Amino acid sequence: MVQSAVDGDAAAWKALVEGMSPLVWSVVRAHRLSDADGHEVFQTTWFRFAQHLGRIREPDKAGAWLASTARHECLKVLKGLARLTLTDDPRVLDRASEDRTPEETLIDLEEAADRAERVRRLWQELDGLGERCRQLLRVLMASPPPSYGEISAALGIAVGSIGPLRQRCLRRLRARMDTRGAV
Amino acid sequence: MNGDDGMPGGPEEFVDGLLEEELRQAAAVLDPVPAELVQAALEAFALHELDARLAELTFDSLVDALPIRGVTDAPRMLTFRAGETTVDVEVTEDGLIGQLLPPQPARIEVLGGPQTARAPLTADPLGRFTSTTPPSGPFALRLRTGAEVIVTEWLRA
Repeated sequence: MVQSAVDGDAAAWKALVEGMSPLVWSVVRAHRLSDADGHEVFQTTWFRFAQHLGRIREPDKAGAWLASTARHECLKVLKGLARLTLTDDPRVLDRASEDRTPEETLIDLEEAADRAERVRRLWQELDGLGERCRQLLRVLMASPPPSYGEISAALGIAVGSIGPLRQRCLRRLRARMDTRGAV
Repeated sequence: MNGDDGMPGGPEEFVDGLLEEELRQAAAVLDPVPAELVQAALEAFALHELDARLAELTFDSLVDALPIRGVTDAPRMLTFRAGETTVDVEVTEDGLIGQLLPPQPARIEVLGGPQTARAPLTADPLGRFTSTTPPSGPFALRLRTGAEVIVTEWLRA
């Protein structure tokens, strides 16, 4: 697909964008950027990918390339903010989008209200897991499921530590859901 | 938590997989990629230029420079390199100052996305150029020297 896009195939590019956007977005979200910064990082990542298209030697690593580029841009944003607001509370970065999406509103209208409630609770519980778990799970849940190579590039953690961390984080989340569910 | 070690393919592993899938569906519903961003990425295909030489970012003061004590608004210094040609850029609140090395005249466009085109800048015979508009958001420079077209890697101002 990367090769077809290099050759000028717009349909191949579209397939790449649709297949990889959720991964890039998950990296942005994992780093808790503000919406404005996150949007710019997302765009910068794709603009740069378009520039590098003909130079990517291993097309099957395009996902890892995108994830790694997005991560580095996220880290630059955080560094720039730290430089501007040295004494400020770092929690200003901690701005999850509270706006309800149309999809979310739609869920409310559906009969499966308890299922929607569980989904929403799942989402809230993520924040209580600790930063490492929250980051890992946010990237892990991109669609289609990212490879461990892509996750490694997205978060700068060794491929070998992803499996055990994934297991620990998922079980911690499950435990939190069970505890709250029983109340 | 129970003491299960989660053998691959074991029941614990299976439940982990279900939870992961549930999270995936939650993300798709509660935090999808904004549609306008997907559109921007689609349009980025136009930035795929075969005839231009890519100048890679080799120095970024945000990452590579030690912070200077007491200086919180130091300008952002960037260096891009394409073979023997380098482009030094200093981004400040007031705009942008740059130099092309080896010194040579050039026409320079400040790109802000697939569609944006601003009035081009001109580098003098010593390769120096200035702009009074500070770049914001993603930007890149496209430089036309006598011999070739060079485009700097995209980055965020």
